[in-house]
Amino acid sequence: MNNKSWKIIFLMMLWLACISPVSAAPEFKIEIKNHLFYPAEFTVPIDTKIKLRIFNRDPTPEEFESYELNREKVILGNSQTVIFIGPLTPGEYPYFGEFNPKTAQGKIIAK
Amino acid sequence: MLLSSVVIILREVLEGSLLMSVLLALSWHRGMNLRWSWVALLFGFLGAFLYASEFEKVSMWFDYVGQEIVNASLHIVIVLFLTGFAVLDQIVEKGYTKTKIIFMTVAASLTIVREGSEILLYLSGFLNNNDVLPSAILGGIIGAGIGLSVGALLYYLLTYLIPTYARKVAYIMLALFAAGMLSHAVTMLTQADWLPSYHVLWDTSSWLKENSLLGQLLYAIMGYEATPTAIQLAAYITGILLLLVLPKLVNKLVGLYAKNK
Repeated sequence: MNNKSWKIIFLMMLWLACISPVSAAPEFKIEIKNHLFYPAEFTVPIDTKIKLRIFNRDPTPEEFESYELNREKVILGNSQTVIFIGPLTPGEYPYFGEFNPKTAQGKIIAK
Repeated sequence: MLLSSVVIILREVLEGSLLMSVLLALSWHRGMNLRWSWVALLFGFLGAFLYASEFEKVSMWFDYVGQEIVNASLHIVIVLFLTGFAVLDQIVEKGYTKTKIIFMTVAASLTIVREGSEILLYLSGFLNNNDVLPSAILGGIIGAGIGLSVGALLYYLLTYLIPTYARKVAYIMLALFAAGMLSHAVTMLTQADWLPSYHVLWDTSSWLKENSLLGQLLYAIMGYEATPTAIQLAAYITGILLLLVLPKLVNKLVGLYAKNK
């Protein structure tokens, strides 16, 4: 297939992705204060898509990152953001704040 | 602090530096003027600054996933322009120079916008903290220095090789770069819930951890993922096909069309 066909296919896929309904994934809140995550550890259900709503109460940006969850996102100071994770198999998934790795650490436990 | 700053900046600079080196080496072998790189750097830095400045607004788009959508789009557009360049380079050896240069410049600029904005956002966090700012900046300079040196080494290596080998190596690197870009784009869209999420296919973190230095370097060079999903793998393969297979296919089709004319 030539270049143009690939572009058309991609655009169709993107369109399909856009119109697909956003499912009601359970929401969990995390707060960043003084370069620490609150709650640092919490449990989520397995095999479900999860919505993380992260509030950065610090004035400086933080990057929520997790290799195990394959997620990374910059959250500016005094802002909130949304990250989707899962479906997860049972286990522990550590995450950290890349801009302040020594203090900002946490773990998501999937049970 | 110093070390983490070095690694973070090195990772971003390395991606941009590798792409520039490979494209510059390919231009050199084709006898093209290398001045496009300055244009790419200029627009890249301007764009990075602009994007970082508007980042707060962008982050709130689409229900707080604007960042992922814009970054993923940047990645996809970069790969499209690299594909365009690869296809053109395959079917016309010494011609369409202006178009090839435009494709390379856009791909390189957007890469610098992407990496540069991340670096600016990272450093902006330390502006108010006079304790760690010096070590963050020093770490950044060291990281950038290493990244640029690797790029320079790669450029000289590629220009030293004879054209046929240089092209082979350069295109393999471009393919891995594009594959990593697409895989990362797909991850971001999944993170934003614009693409469905899947279970992980395998876990190679016992062989090579993503957060080791080598893991990070491989992440920058070829988008290494210890725990990829099916859709990431599909995107990765697509990147390789676009850069290595599609140009040859188009070349064949053009040849057949010319013969039957």
